Amino acid sequence: MMHGQTPSDADWRHALTRFVTVIPHTRELGLEVLSVTPEATSMRLPWRDDLLGDSARGLVHGGVLTMLLDTVCGSAVLPALPAPEVCPTLDLRVDHYRPGVAGLAILAEARVVQVTESVVFTEGILWQEVGRPLARGIGNFVRLGPRNTPDGFAEALFAKADEHA
Amino acid sequence: MREGFDNVEWLTRTRAEGDVEAWLALMPYARRIGVSAIPDPGSEGLLFRLEPRESNIGNVLLPALHGGVVAAFMETAAALDLMLATQVPRLPRIVDISIDYLRTARMVPTLARCSLLREGRRMGNVRVNAWQEHEAAPVATARLHLVLGEPDASKA
Repeated sequence: MMHGQTPSDADWRHALTRFVTVIPHTRELGLEVLSVTPEATSMRLPWRDDLLGDSARGLVHGGVLTMLLDTVCGSAVLPALPAPEVCPTLDLRVDHYRPGVAGLAILAEARVVQVTESVVFTEGILWQEVGRPLARGIGNFVRLGPRNTPDGFAEALFAKADEHA
Repeated sequence: MREGFDNVEWLTRTRAEGDVEAWLALMPYARRIGVSAIPDPGSEGLLFRLEPRESNIGNVLLPALHGGVVAAFMETAAALDLMLATQVPRLPRIVDISIDYLRTARMVPTLARCSLLREGRRMGNVRVNAWQEHEAAPVATARLHLVLGEPDASKA
């Protein structure tokens, strides 16, 4: 991304890849960013055995789904704002439709529903097989605004995009 | 016979021995993030603890724990606390969770205690309070519904 230009969807995909790669928890789980538009962000969490929450039954830990929804919804916030701001999670609600099962990657998609001066409202969905959702999340994120966003936040996000443009 | 949450003898024995570690061994993600539990000196339940591991960081600038990891910790606490209270040797399955993030969770140990607001035959309602410095200043609170009935993944 050149300075002053609007980032393209590809720039955003690089930026959010960098975002989830800088975060130790999502980096170590190998979380991948599949696509990013101002409206929606999608990600893929590859299968690994320590995602299980009940190894006797081979079911994914529900907390993995909460963590993934928090991450994908929180990431979707960034391209929906006029300029990147730090937006911590205010609250998150997750409905579990069916358990995740061992051996399959978990796919995630989040949409920004509404942006106000103080809050970004999001919604996300997870699945392993198309048409069979695992969980739906509703996450609200607080806009800290430019004054509380560290200098260089946007530049740091897009650093890799510049290198690989 | 496989050892699992549905093995009554094993659960009774580990519970009698206060060996919550044996239950956590069946929950790989809970182990990965560093959850442990001890009998709560102040109640019938358990006092839960989340280690401040580098791999639990969700914000490198502060640094702070990943909010989703804190949620996973609280969910683990709710499921184990409810199982212990109902004395049904079966890991309850989550129906829904609602979590409020009240303060930044720093890189120090996080503790959690659960209150069972309702223990039905089919469904439990659990409130979880998670804190770092003082219990009265929680970093997050959560409420969950968990189902106690026989989980049947084949119907999923």
